[in-house]
Amino acid sequence: MPKIKISILILILVIIFLVSLCLGPRVINPLSLNDLEKEIMLSIRLPRFVVAVLMGMALGASGAVLQGILRNPLADPYILGISSGASLSAAFGLISGSYFLGKYTIPLTAFIGAAIVSMIVSAFGWKRGGLWPERLLLAGVGLSFLFHAVLMLLISTSTDEGMRRTVLWIFGDLSIADWSLIPYGFVLVILGLGISISRSKALNALILGDEFAHSLGFSVYKERVLLFLSVVLMTAASVSLGGIIGFIGLLMPHIVRFLIGADNRFLIPASALCGGAFLCVADLIGKLIMPPAEIPSGIITAIIGSPYFLYLLRRKNVLNL
Amino acid sequence: MSSTYNHTILQLDNVTFQYPSDKMFITHLTFSVGNGEFIGLLGANGSGKSTILKLASGILKPSEGSVRLWGKPLHFYKNKDRAKLLCYLPQLLDINVPFTVREVVSMGLYPYDMPPEMSADEAIEIVGLEEKSGSYITNLSGGERRRTFIAMTLLQGAGLLLLDEPLANLDIKYQIEILRLLGELKEKKNISIIMALHDINIALQFEKVMLIKDGKILGAGNPGIVLTKDLLKEAFDVNIAVKKNNSGGAYISYGNNF
Repeated sequence: MPKIKISILILILVIIFLVSLCLGPRVINPLSLNDLEKEIMLSIRLPRFVVAVLMGMALGASGAVLQGILRNPLADPYILGISSGASLSAAFGLISGSYFLGKYTIPLTAFIGAAIVSMIVSAFGWKRGGLWPERLLLAGVGLSFLFHAVLMLLISTSTDEGMRRTVLWIFGDLSIADWSLIPYGFVLVILGLGISISRSKALNALILGDEFAHSLGFSVYKERVLLFLSVVLMTAASVSLGGIIGFIGLLMPHIVRFLIGADNRFLIPASALCGGAFLCVADLIGKLIMPPAEIPSGIITAIIGSPYFLYLLRRKNVLNL
Repeated sequence: MSSTYNHTILQLDNVTFQYPSDKMFITHLTFSVGNGEFIGLLGANGSGKSTILKLASGILKPSEGSVRLWGKPLHFYKNKDRAKLLCYLPQLLDINVPFTVREVVSMGLYPYDMPPEMSADEAIEIVGLEEKSGSYITNLSGGERRRTFIAMTLLQGAGLLLLDEPLANLDIKYQIEILRLLGELKEKKNISIIMALHDINIALQFEKVMLIKDGKILGAGNPGIVLTKDLLKEAFDVNIAVKKNNSGGAYISYGNNF
């Protein structure tokens, strides 16, 4: 049964993907392209579309994994402080205006920030030879506050242009999408997805509890480290590709659980696909709603996402809170 | 000598364990479980029953001593291989994710690459949950939830079951049903079971009990012999005695405690 539902889901997503490629400030018929349209398609829409799909997939899947390993339905990829660390380090680059590595500056600084914060969070979450969900969660929340405060300090003392760019980036700025960034983002996201999908049975068992996971033949500590690693790879890649997009990581796993069930073998890939599609749609809306200005995708995802999330909250059996 | 060895499935030798921030400890615990034995682990709350089961299942590692499964140290087994031989069912079944009953029961197949003889639906039928197989586990009563996990345990098909209070939250009907089921499994498949419990009346139905206090074995053997007034007083800190009724059945007399 989940397989039929997943097939239908894939079909819907493919349609969304195609539509979002064709629509924009200029509607393009992909079957008859002139030179200008080819150029728009290849150097603007396609890379931006690929970035949106990669980011959405990374966020959706890592949300599903995190809600599992933290055994907390409110977890999203940003709760561990990874994103605020990445924002802070990228904001240094943006505000100082020192593009020492050219267009790679922001993604690279963001990725380094995310990696460093992940190490700090896991150091705090580490006890007696393993990662402890509650410790990870609290360390992440604590560090987020700190980074957020420093970030606000930076923004409040920076120049106007630096501030505007930083704020845009924080709300998810896909306009910086560029082919050159895609290969590395692709590798990290696929690696993270591969790890998490291959460990999905272990994640199911871990949700029942560590003792169940042990009894069912999994090494609890090893599995949790691997799953945490997959989240770090995907979140860091996503943040560095296009800033912070809220709500996808929190929302997608809940929607997918509602549609096809909680088994992580289906939940992780389906959350990834839905996340990709959702971000495509959000990006499209952001571009179309008041051209030529663009609304950052993170704002759109939150505006669409929150009411739907609250609706789910009212429905019995969905969130189980 | 060799035949005794062949029939020992689980052997704890001089096992010592202490929680880092707790006074509770197990010192020099030694016991073995034979093939087809059905043992009740009886003791008051906090007596160390759960800790003993966790040590026996490899969830906790002893600081001294050894735990052997089929003669081989437990930590020498690969996780998946161990899971096919030994299954541990925790007492606390606290799950907040809406898995269906069938999804949870099917997890019993995780240690296997090839599906074993029993199917998830058969296991669900055995515990009487066929009408609930598509229901969310989060919507089940405590007893239904417990039966779901017992079905998972059955599907996992290990020869040694370590069950921590599997009868907690169950109506008397299902207590009897589960005990009957486990008894049948023991007879048919010669599996061995250690079950933690704190209900002395149920312990009286067992062939063998181990009475636990402060992580030590006060006595082990036939409940008629082990559950004496003195040992029960030591284990539970209350004056109770095992009496026989007219038809020869044993029961607990609460004396003048009320």
